[in-house]
Amino acid sequence: MSNKTDISVNVNGREYTRHVSPRVSLADFIRHDLGLTGTHVGCEHGVCGACVVKLDGKIVRSCLTLAVQTDGHAIETIEGLSESGEISDMQEIFHKRNALQCGYCTPGILLTAAELLEKTATPDREEIREFLSGNLCRCTGYEAIIDAVEETARERQDGK
Amino acid sequence: MNYVEPSSITELMNYVTTVEDYRCLAGGATLVAMMNVGLVEPELLISLHKLDELKGMRIDQNVIRIGAMTTHTAITDEDRLTGNASLVRSAAGQIAHSAVRNMGTIGGAISHADPSADFPAALTAANATIEVLGPSGRRVIQIDDFFVNYLETSLTEKEIVMAIMVPLSPADAIGHHLKFSRVDGDYATVSVSLALAMEGRICSYARIAVGSVAAVPLRLKEADDILIGSNLEESEIARASELLLKSSDPIDDVRGSSSYRKFLIPRLIRQAVLQSKKELSYT
Repeated sequence: MSNKTDISVNVNGREYTRHVSPRVSLADFIRHDLGLTGTHVGCEHGVCGACVVKLDGKIVRSCLTLAVQTDGHAIETIEGLSESGEISDMQEIFHKRNALQCGYCTPGILLTAAELLEKTATPDREEIREFLSGNLCRCTGYEAIIDAVEETARERQDGK
Repeated sequence: MNYVEPSSITELMNYVTTVEDYRCLAGGATLVAMMNVGLVEPELLISLHKLDELKGMRIDQNVIRIGAMTTHTAITDEDRLTGNASLVRSAAGQIAHSAVRNMGTIGGAISHADPSADFPAALTAANATIEVLGPSGRRVIQIDDFFVNYLETSLTEKEIVMAIMVPLSPADAIGHHLKFSRVDGDYATVSVSLALAMEGRICSYARIAVGSVAAVPLRLKEADDILIGSNLEESEIARASELLLKSSDPIDDVRGSSSYRKFLIPRLIRQAVLQSKKELSYT
């Protein structure tokens, strides 16, 4: 009953053209149509942050974005950020500091923390906490996550 | 469900006048969430993101015109929002979280008319006017007449918000949106929006709106009038707060009980006024 439309999107630097129903969320499109399962689906109403992706360079909730809205736009997911090596330092530190337990929230947190460090090179713990407050970790590992983001910022400054 | 992306106002009006069951999609932060939980399922979804007239900000005769499709992030980053309009910037930066601010729009936020949201109270305090368009043309609605009830505006059927006009004057005013919420990024339990200016020790301008304590943002000219011309002493702030408190009618919900909200109202007003007064004394 739905009228499917063709959309062309650039995801992690690759062009895709797909036939999608207007009701499909960007999160489901990325996971089911493109097979990129690093983007997770949690609450489906924009509260948990597990589905965060970058749309035209800015982080958005992919569960609150419809795939059809992104026709002609550029999307980056955790897979793209991992392959480019752009956040490999942060991923390494998350691993080292046990800043992930089950890992469900981790892709969203990495993308969100990456945007924070783009905006603010050396955020204090309060700023990190505030910026990540839209990403829920139900393993309750927040302290380690904040430690890891703080250390990434510090190492990036030291490395300059 | 069908989806369209009109690229002109004429095309948009054509859709809204010919289709009965439609919704306009702005940023999607609220509408898509409502669709996800099955609260709304329109026959036609009309995306507004290709309408250039709804984008961007420009200043004309001391008033900044903010296109309805301007995101909360763009408003937070806009340094032309000065004087009285700085209040709008202060509120935008406190809405939800970065990933939502990058999507959500000011036009969408006010059309939804949630009295717990940040923009309704902030735009009331900022004395904004709303430019709307419908099949019978354009009109301008003063913010005090825009919000009618919970999730209800004075937009007539088929009308949409085009832009929000915010006066920059008084240029020497400062604006604050003071928000109390249990969890960072949540809707406010109570919020106080305030534009304030002083000449020496005398308050020369005040406009206060309290959010999340009634069906619409709460503003009383009588409360503002107590502050204007005063030295903003504790007793004067208390009198203004008392009036607002008496007119409030907060609900009980997960963010706080009615009585707790009433407890917060005078305290937050006092804090907002004193903070602004202190800041102004340094400038």
